[in-house]
Amino acid sequence: MRKYIPFAFKNSLRNKRRTILTIASISVSLFLLGVLIAVYHAFYFRAAPPEQALRLVMRNRVSLTFSIPEYYEPKIRQIPGVKEVVSRSWFGGIYIDNRPEYFFPRFGTDPERIFKVYPEMTIDPEQLKAFQSERTAAAIGKTLAEKQNLRLGQKITLKGDIYPVDLELTIRAIFEGTADSSDNVMYFHRKYVEEGLVNARKGLVGTFAILAESAEAVPRIAREADEMFRNSDRQTKTDSERAFQLSFVSMLGNVKVFLLSICGAVVFTILLVSANTMAMSVRERIKEIGVLRTLGFTTDKVLAMIIAEAVIIAMLGGLLGCLMAFAVVQVLGSSLQVMFGTLRMPPVVLLISLGVAFAIGLLSSVIPAYNASRVPITDALRHLG
Amino acid sequence: MNNNFIIETKSLTKEYKRDEFRIMALHQASIQIEKGEFLALMGPSGSGKSTLLHLIAAIDRPSSGEVTVLGQNLQALSDKEIARWRNEHVGFVFQTFNLIPVLTARENVELPLLLTHLSKKERIDHAETALKLVGLGDRMGHYPRQLSGGQEQRVAIARAIVTDPALILADEPTGDLDSQSANEVLTILSKLNKEQNKTVVMVTHDPHAAKFASKIRHLEKGELLPKGVLPQV
Repeated sequence: MRKYIPFAFKNSLRNKRRTILTIASISVSLFLLGVLIAVYHAFYFRAAPPEQALRLVMRNRVSLTFSIPEYYEPKIRQIPGVKEVVSRSWFGGIYIDNRPEYFFPRFGTDPERIFKVYPEMTIDPEQLKAFQSERTAAAIGKTLAEKQNLRLGQKITLKGDIYPVDLELTIRAIFEGTADSSDNVMYFHRKYVEEGLVNARKGLVGTFAILAESAEAVPRIAREADEMFRNSDRQTKTDSERAFQLSFVSMLGNVKVFLLSICGAVVFTILLVSANTMAMSVRERIKEIGVLRTLGFTTDKVLAMIIAEAVIIAMLGGLLGCLMAFAVVQVLGSSLQVMFGTLRMPPVVLLISLGVAFAIGLLSSVIPAYNASRVPITDALRHLG
Repeated sequence: MNNNFIIETKSLTKEYKRDEFRIMALHQASIQIEKGEFLALMGPSGSGKSTLLHLIAAIDRPSSGEVTVLGQNLQALSDKEIARWRNEHVGFVFQTFNLIPVLTARENVELPLLLTHLSKKERIDHAETALKLVGLGDRMGHYPRQLSGGQEQRVAIARAIVTDPALILADEPTGDLDSQSANEVLTILSKLNKEQNKTVVMVTHDPHAAKFASKIRHLEKGELLPKGVLPQV
């Protein structure tokens, strides 16, 4: 089959304008598809550190906006299989001003435990000590430090909104996470936040992050933890960390169906465009197909060559589209944040996009190619095109 | 069967259906063509001469009758076998040249060789030899649009002979050519017949072209006329 490829390639460039327009339409569609699949991948298949499989997140059963008591922590710790527990309270607040570029996640936490529950975040021991020992210290991820141009020893102010307290913080540690999501974040002492609160708001936390001893223990711990607080006035909902993260995505609506619908529409539309192009291209060449068959080409070979031609066009469009998608994602980089991290174009997304391009080429040509290859030779030779 | 006959047809009939009409394109045609002959099939339009040629080339199947070419009963072959057989044994020259416009002269001639087991280099060598044989050694890299009609038809002849077939079938090969180009093409066909002992069957309605043939048979209204009998005017 390899020796027919140059012939198929030359045929694909027969009507240059049409081929270029087809490649352009496929590439634009594949670009869109590539970005959408990348978003889908970021939501549902993003590579997570292995520690994530060991972590659970406990929140208020009613909603994430309701807090849970701090005193749950020692009780959680008693559940067999729990290795470590740490509270994390979303502070919100304003850094510099309300513009999106100054937004990043900020949590009040327990500095003694946060890096035990998130061991994938590596931190210099000296910096960790400095972070733990100073009441107004903050630890930030490396990505955040680079993005906001923050450095060790720098003082920053967070103006409270959810909590009616302004925080004067000093950056004492810069840690490195395994993913942007864990790197683009700031931690500080929850106790420091509580100092400025009225008594009624003290002793409450947003969530507990629980580190299990084994992945097998995770479902049981979730079940037992929620059971433990079933009769309390603040019931809990404990999920694996992955499920907890996906619950944010579901707040946007049925994102999965939405993304898949758009992807489906894009693929279907481009399939029709390509099928039309291939049908036109094949119809114009019925006579040539008759000539090829007179020379001894079998119907199967003719069929394969026409399909190869369509696949070449679709793959060229697909490659171009993937390159565009890759370039856009690379260039815009971290500004394309998708809920838990920077939008990236992993190889699997490129492979899927190219696979779709291949399928478009195949499916768009198979019917016209089949029909054309089976026209009787004498009819084909009489065809006027 | 006489071993000298390269082509033998017996009561060959071809009937087409066009909507509700039945059209008898060829009726009970029996012909024997000897190896090394240059036969011209003559007749007016619709007389069945191209149909007979198509049946001999096995690019169409007869409604009834038998056609044996090079000792092979063509009805006994499957479509795949026929394609292979045609590639190996038959070179076909069309009236309208039918070169592939996106391929150069050399690539057009190389096309039938793609179906063989020859290496790329061997294919190129064979194609170049065939082109030199028809006097187009200096036009190998030219596309069909860069060639004259006569040159295009010579490329088509090179394509027909590149697999070294025993039989060359030509369907009105000079129909689209001026007289000078027609003479060149007919001379090449004649040389192939005389010097390389190729059997040539040429369909034409041009008496001048038919003069290049060693034998002439006439068809009229789907009937193959007996030897020496001319159609009624």
